[in-house]
Amino acid sequence: MRYFLLVVFFPVIYCVSCGKEEVEQIEIHVPQGVTVPKDMVYIPSGQFIMGHPDEGTTLRGQKVSLEAFLIDRFEVTRQQFKHFEPDYNFEPNKAQFPVSMVTFEKAREYCQWKGRRLPREAEWEKAARGTDGRKWPWRKYYEHPNNGFSGFLPEAVDRRKEWISPYGVYGMGHNVWEWTSDWYIYDGIPGADLNRFKVIRGGLSQTHTLIKFTPTYYRNRIEPTAHFNFIGFRCACPMQCQ
Amino acid sequence: MKILGQKLDRRFFLSLFSLFAVATFLPKRVFGKSDYRRDKNIPKQYIQNRDRPGFFIRSANPFMGVDVNSWGLSISGMVENPVALSYEDLFGFKSISQISRLKCVECWSATAKWEGFRFQELIDRVKPDLQAKYIYFQSADSYYESFTLEELVRPRVLMVLRMNGQPLSKDHGFPLRLIAPFKYGYKNVKYITSIKFTDSRKRNYWSNHGPYSVDGTIQPGIDHPLDFRKKPLRINGGEVFHPFDKRPS
Repeated sequence: MRYFLLVVFFPVIYCVSCGKEEVEQIEIHVPQGVTVPKDMVYIPSGQFIMGHPDEGTTLRGQKVSLEAFLIDRFEVTRQQFKHFEPDYNFEPNKAQFPVSMVTFEKAREYCQWKGRRLPREAEWEKAARGTDGRKWPWRKYYEHPNNGFSGFLPEAVDRRKEWISPYGVYGMGHNVWEWTSDWYIYDGIPGADLNRFKVIRGGLSQTHTLIKFTPTYYRNRIEPTAHFNFIGFRCACPMQCQ
Repeated sequence: MKILGQKLDRRFFLSLFSLFAVATFLPKRVFGKSDYRRDKNIPKQYIQNRDRPGFFIRSANPFMGVDVNSWGLSISGMVENPVALSYEDLFGFKSISQISRLKCVECWSATAKWEGFRFQELIDRVKPDLQAKYIYFQSADSYYESFTLEELVRPRVLMVLRMNGQPLSKDHGFPLRLIAPFKYGYKNVKYITSIKFTDSRKRNYWSNHGPYSVDGTIQPGIDHPLDFRKKPLRINGGEVFHPFDKRPS
């Protein structure tokens, strides 16, 4: 009996408990005639819940309807960005890390060069949370594993399958914050702040050495000329693109 | 047997032993202890961490502060014209002033009016090589920091000589400190003595002594401003501007 427990039972229990949980995926039917590039995800048309009632600068949980669109499965990597800007340099072992230190305009130019565009804020949020109004792309809350370090720790864009969205989009709740094409506006915004900030979405926030995921509906804002190590981007496009 | 005129006999070794014994039991301050990082009995006159209302003082290595008569700024490394500047020399650069918030990684922040000159003035003086992409600062208290050159020529970065209309106090980095408002406070090096242009990045003090990044860019998160009774406010990342702060136009 002891032998059985030691060699079979406990190892099996251990393996089961260590297995990474998978995020339940929304079943997608891509319409005939629509070609989805390998590096993109098809997000079907329809309503989703945008914002949260407790967040005054969001749509407070209203239902928003969008046409179908395509969005990059991963954040744009450093290696991909070098094809666009040959002078851009990166450490070879970080080729699959998200590109950062890019201004809004540079991100927009990249997407245009790819025959795509930056995602609208609503598109980004739908791709991150699906249609059930979830707070985290992967649904369940847990602490970020890198607590205890004050600073930004990016990682390869395809590393965290356990943190994908219900549409299978990576990096919507961690890694870099991402430029969207929208200006940061809300009811009652001070006049001086109009057309001053672009919305960035989906990164981490921190207090001293405590790092936290930010909810799918959380809106951050940043001046479009800013370029920081915590901001990157991904592209999107309407139904047909390259 | 004699060494340097001293006879090596029993009496010599006994006196040597007794001197060592006495030295062991003497209080450390007799020898002018200089490292108080792990000692709470820091002499009052030393610069040290103090939670002063309005603007906390933080200093990694407690020390007496800089005597300007023996202070000089060395700028060297991969440059065409290495220079050594005195305190007076620094007032020959074009003076710039700005109000900006210093955001500490410990979560508090405070504002001040800072006056000084742009880092570009130093670049123009020493003419760095094209390969010199990094800057390494050293301080009078053995602290050290590193930056990319690009970061230091950003518009809001200032080499600071004055704070709130007065010369920098010893506590705040006299005679020269850096203000890079988009970096956590620990990057805003004080009591600067040396600036070196290099072609590779060096680490900084806190990445070697604590869980802090070399980069030190202020991340999106929460701030507790001292001028808002330390109430928590969200910050977007980069230079901190709260709703009651005036943004530069």
